[in-house]
Amino acid sequence: MGLAKVEKVGILAHASLRSKLLSVLQEAGIVQVEEVDRSETGLGSTPADISELDHVLHRLKRGMDFLSQFEEKGLLDRIKARKPALSLQERGKVLKFDYFPVLDRLEKIEAEKSELLSHLKFVQKETEFLLTLAGLELPVSAFKSTNLIEVMVGSLPLSRREELAGLTEEMALWHEVIGSEKRVCFLILFVLKEDKDLIDEKLKEVEFLPLYLAEPILSKAEEGDRVRDIIEKNRREIGEKTKKIAELDNEEKKMVVYRDRLAELYDILHNEREKLSASRLLGETEKAVYIEGWVKSEDTPRLRSILARSAEECEVFTRPPLDGEDVPVILENPRPAEPFEVLTKLYGLPHRDSIDPTIPLAPFFFVFVGLCVSEAGYGLIMAILSLLYIRCAKPRGNALQFFRLLFLLGISNIILGTLVGGWFGFPIRQLLVIDALKDPLPFLVLALVLGFVQVCFGTLLSLIARLKKKNYVQAIFVQGGWLLLLPALVAYFLTKQTLWGILALAGASGIVFFASPRRNLLARFFGGLYSLYDISRYLGDVLSYSRLLALGMATSVIAMVVNTLSQTALGIPWVGWLFAALIFAGGHLFNLIISFLGGFVHSMRLQFVEFFTKFFQPGGKPFKPFKLENKFVEFV
Amino acid sequence: MDLGLTLAVLGGALAVALGGSGSAIGVGLAGQAAAGVMSEDPEKFGILLLLVALPGTQGIYGFLSTFLVLLKLGLTGATAVKPSVHQGWQIFVACLPVGITGLVSAIHQGKVCASGVYMVAKQPKDLAKPLVLAALVETYAVLGLLITILLLNSIKL
Repeated sequence: MGLAKVEKVGILAHASLRSKLLSVLQEAGIVQVEEVDRSETGLGSTPADISELDHVLHRLKRGMDFLSQFEEKGLLDRIKARKPALSLQERGKVLKFDYFPVLDRLEKIEAEKSELLSHLKFVQKETEFLLTLAGLELPVSAFKSTNLIEVMVGSLPLSRREELAGLTEEMALWHEVIGSEKRVCFLILFVLKEDKDLIDEKLKEVEFLPLYLAEPILSKAEEGDRVRDIIEKNRREIGEKTKKIAELDNEEKKMVVYRDRLAELYDILHNEREKLSASRLLGETEKAVYIEGWVKSEDTPRLRSILARSAEECEVFTRPPLDGEDVPVILENPRPAEPFEVLTKLYGLPHRDSIDPTIPLAPFFFVFVGLCVSEAGYGLIMAILSLLYIRCAKPRGNALQFFRLLFLLGISNIILGTLVGGWFGFPIRQLLVIDALKDPLPFLVLALVLGFVQVCFGTLLSLIARLKKKNYVQAIFVQGGWLLLLPALVAYFLTKQTLWGILALAGASGIVFFASPRRNLLARFFGGLYSLYDISRYLGDVLSYSRLLALGMATSVIAMVVNTLSQTALGIPWVGWLFAALIFAGGHLFNLIISFLGGFVHSMRLQFVEFFTKFFQPGGKPFKPFKLENKFVEFV
Repeated sequence: MDLGLTLAVLGGALAVALGGSGSAIGVGLAGQAAAGVMSEDPEKFGILLLLVALPGTQGIYGFLSTFLVLLKLGLTGATAVKPSVHQGWQIFVACLPVGITGLVSAIHQGKVCASGVYMVAKQPKDLAKPLVLAALVETYAVLGLLITILLLNSIKL
């Protein structure tokens, strides 16, 4: 139970084997490579440049992103999608594929496309603007001011037209309407240059906004072209560009076949990069190379045989970890308890000297979630769904453990839901041990008893941990004192027998006299008395477990509400059954999600806050073996 | 409708209204934070949803307390019970723990969850920690619910 034994391993080999050794270790995936201490040994190291590989990886990723916009995959496809499997030989073949032309072409297409698109946008904007002036019959080239006259185009609010007409009467100004929209009309104005300043001011007053034909438009206009002809030209250009983009899209779509290849390459090159960056950790001389790392003791023989097979001229040493060393932690639990490692990892791995809390918490967590949700129907659904997910999507590592945990929690709910809750809000009375809706007290007592047991169990584990650290006095008198005091106190209050009272006092005296480490007797006594105050914490901890009742009842009451509502809906004529079915399905789904969330989080809290604080010491460093990492393909 | 029944119904209404208001504020706070984070990183929707949903439970506790009151009064079925004025007051008061603790704790839980959302934005692997912190706040709503249930259960009509 608990933490796996880990050893330090050193591998010494001829320098020519450097790359091969790393490959072999990466394939094996059982050694966490550590940086060799060069200051003491005087070993050197070869610098490795990973920036080039990083650049290629970046390009590959971008290329894949370009291509994936053309892939059509539904959610179900994605869940069911298997990663392609690649063996060692196949990997070699993939590496021979010349990916640069593909990437070059892809990048060129994308660059061209983005240029075309931005140009297209520009031309569209321009056309939109020109459309407002489409009524202008003059050629654009005639649109120039002369010595005496200035030509202007612009917009005017329809409501101000009268005022403009007034202006034309009294000033050297001639205008014509060339088009209009909902609220504005567009005008062409001829103005005498002499009076321009004055006229400009007046025009401002009537909210005339001048529009200017920009240089790109003027340059497009040939001799005699009117605005309408330029619009026509622009439309033709838009058509051409759109066609060109579609062609490029088509070409890119045809390149989708390369996507898997690029994905394979990405994973393989990524691992090459990892290998290169691991090679910085080695210690080297001109002729020899030294690799150091951690390995699970259990894996040591396998490591030796693998190395012996692939590289004969290498020497392997192992030794147990030294006291000050930062040893990585590997959790090791029997299969049924394994899924509960998820919780331990969420809190933080145990310190190498601490107890692994996975097995102690497993039965409690199993029961608590069952009580918090206490709904057998939901349990069944959860169990089936998580099983299906595991079968279909084949998750790995932590995800697999999490879904296995969900499966177990489903089972727990099927059992406990039948005993204290119901099936979709319908209790099976013959099998019901506690009917919380009729009388919640037995459920409350059950919750508190479970809490008491877990809190005492936590104290017991703390006692064991202190014994292991040879802290006998604290272990026996203080932790032992609590273990004597707490049950005796409860028994005394329940039975009122003096015997229990005496036992409680005995436990308490152990705490009072030994909890404080001080030498001064008086200080020691009062310090101990103060520790006795912790009893309020124990009380609070146990009462905290009453949430099991509240959460459990919440689920059953809401399930009942859903059933009542759906029954009421049945009364609606004709479509009543449909509404009833919808309310039943939707309501129970909602309740399932919300109560599993609540049940999981609160049961987790009970482990972390009430249980772990008694004995658990986190702070372990996870074991990260140097291995093949895959995102898109499976290495076999 | 006589005074006893009115008081009892008022209590039930308060339970769901207070708890629901608290949850609405709490979920709102967390939701705003989550929307901000998702604007940078849309893929976090799944985990952030958990944190946003958490302050919603107080509303549910209020709701189910109200339902228990309705059950007790027989208002869901055909025959309603007519409580005396004293019994009406009793039911009214019994509803207060879940309502008030729900209102206050949901708002504060919302704040904790909002901060938790920012924490997950920076440390995506530490989802458990903000969840536990939020559950610490919720404890008091759970205790309020518990007492409301026990009180309602002990009132004999």
